[in-house]
Amino acid sequence: MNPTLPRFRGRLHDARTAVAIGRWLGSAVVVCFLTGLISHVLQHPPGWMAGLLPVRPVWGYRLTQGLHVASGLAAIVLVMAKLWAVYPRLFTWPAFRSPLHLAERLSIALLVAATVFELFTGLINILQWYPWPFSFTQTHYAVAWIVAGALLLHLAVKAPLIRENWRGKPADLDAADRRALLAGVGAAVGAVTLTTVGQSLSALRGFDLLAPRNPDVATQGMPINRTAAAAQVTYASSEGWALEVAGPKPYRVTLAELEALPQRRVRLPIACVEGWSVDAWWSGVPLRDLLARAGAPPGTAVRVESLEVWGYYRVMEMPAQYADDPQTLLALRLNDEVLSLDHGYPARIIAPNRPGVLQTKWVSRMEAQVETL
Amino acid sequence: MRALRLSLGAAGVALVGVGLFFLLPLPGLLGVVVWFAGAVALHDVLIGPIVLATGVLVARLPDRAVVRGALITMGGLVLITVPALLRPGPSPNPTVLVQPYGRNLLICLAAVAVVAVVLVLLRRRR
Repeated sequence: MNPTLPRFRGRLHDARTAVAIGRWLGSAVVVCFLTGLISHVLQHPPGWMAGLLPVRPVWGYRLTQGLHVASGLAAIVLVMAKLWAVYPRLFTWPAFRSPLHLAERLSIALLVAATVFELFTGLINILQWYPWPFSFTQTHYAVAWIVAGALLLHLAVKAPLIRENWRGKPADLDAADRRALLAGVGAAVGAVTLTTVGQSLSALRGFDLLAPRNPDVATQGMPINRTAAAAQVTYASSEGWALEVAGPKPYRVTLAELEALPQRRVRLPIACVEGWSVDAWWSGVPLRDLLARAGAPPGTAVRVESLEVWGYYRVMEMPAQYADDPQTLLALRLNDEVLSLDHGYPARIIAPNRPGVLQTKWVSRMEAQVETL
Repeated sequence: MRALRLSLGAAGVALVGVGLFFLLPLPGLLGVVVWFAGAVALHDVLIGPIVLATGVLVARLPDRAVVRGALITMGGLVLITVPALLRPGPSPNPTVLVQPYGRNLLICLAAVAVVAVVLVLLRRRR
């Protein structure tokens, strides 16, 4: 029995269009995957990698995570165009001719499901909206590998077709129409990028009309990810505050004493995993000075704890190369004003080339991880 | 070529395996399966047919190339803004979701329409 299936007369639903759009989509997915891996490793380094993470350039994570979100948004447009091009193949009949054909179709289903899932949950996540019953970060990471694998498998299966259609054929009657279609898809990618990338690329901030963040909407010149209210920190919780520094020579230091220590002023960005980033001036005490006073030699990693009652990043591990860096501060001021409570009063961490969630706010305790042999 | 394809395919299967290795132990796995299916259904049943139907409607229009490009651009802009418009509940803090998204989306769509009209006029003059 042959069921009534839709018939498609549009001539651009062909392999040449699929290859032309597929190249762009594939490039966006590769950039998105690699920058995502960089972000994952910076945030959750396996033990052996922690000491290898680079401290320079200071804007490294700003660039890679900006690219991650921008390439993901571009891929949303591109995946829709790609699916439009191949949509008629969804109605292939008979549905499968052989076990191999069935396997191929199932692998396509996995590729489409994983890619659309990954892109749209990412889009919803940058709005700080979590309407699902699973952990976003862990699932987003796992599914990224499925997308990458299903894509490689797809390239292997379609290799002859891709090769055949990599360039247009001279006698192609649809060439002009296809060029116009591709120009339209390119315009759509350009428009989506232009109206969102200003949240990380300062030069295009004026065009940031649709992104979740606009760096101009900020307090003390800096947007906020986790507020003091969300972390259940109040000015009262820092009353009588003294920083505890644990190490071979442990000590406590009050805010007034910290302010009396030699200060350093550095320009470093906050770059959030959700893609936005902003440069700012920070002033405070170099972390290595505080650690040296506790008797920790250079090359010592540090554990930093926050006043937060609860949070995934309440305790932060900082590898030695960041703790040693002269630009890493226990910051007391942001853009020359005393930190507001939402920005981490009385003291917060600022370090180069690290994701925003690791720039711990409301620091209460630091522990030098001196190896005892 | 054949060896290259086979190794590429094997690498692909291996990476899918890595993904499943990370995914399967996670809590809320049923939710992931539902969202996978939902993602495909959303496209294949809703977005796909709407786009195809729009394509059929503009197929006979004069200046189809420009109209189609403008519609794709508008579609992309709508798609990335819809979650911000649908998100229920208050913004988690005063620096997230800071823009009037409905108004800004209309501004962007209007700008695309203006560019499209200008392009049509320029093409006709030639």
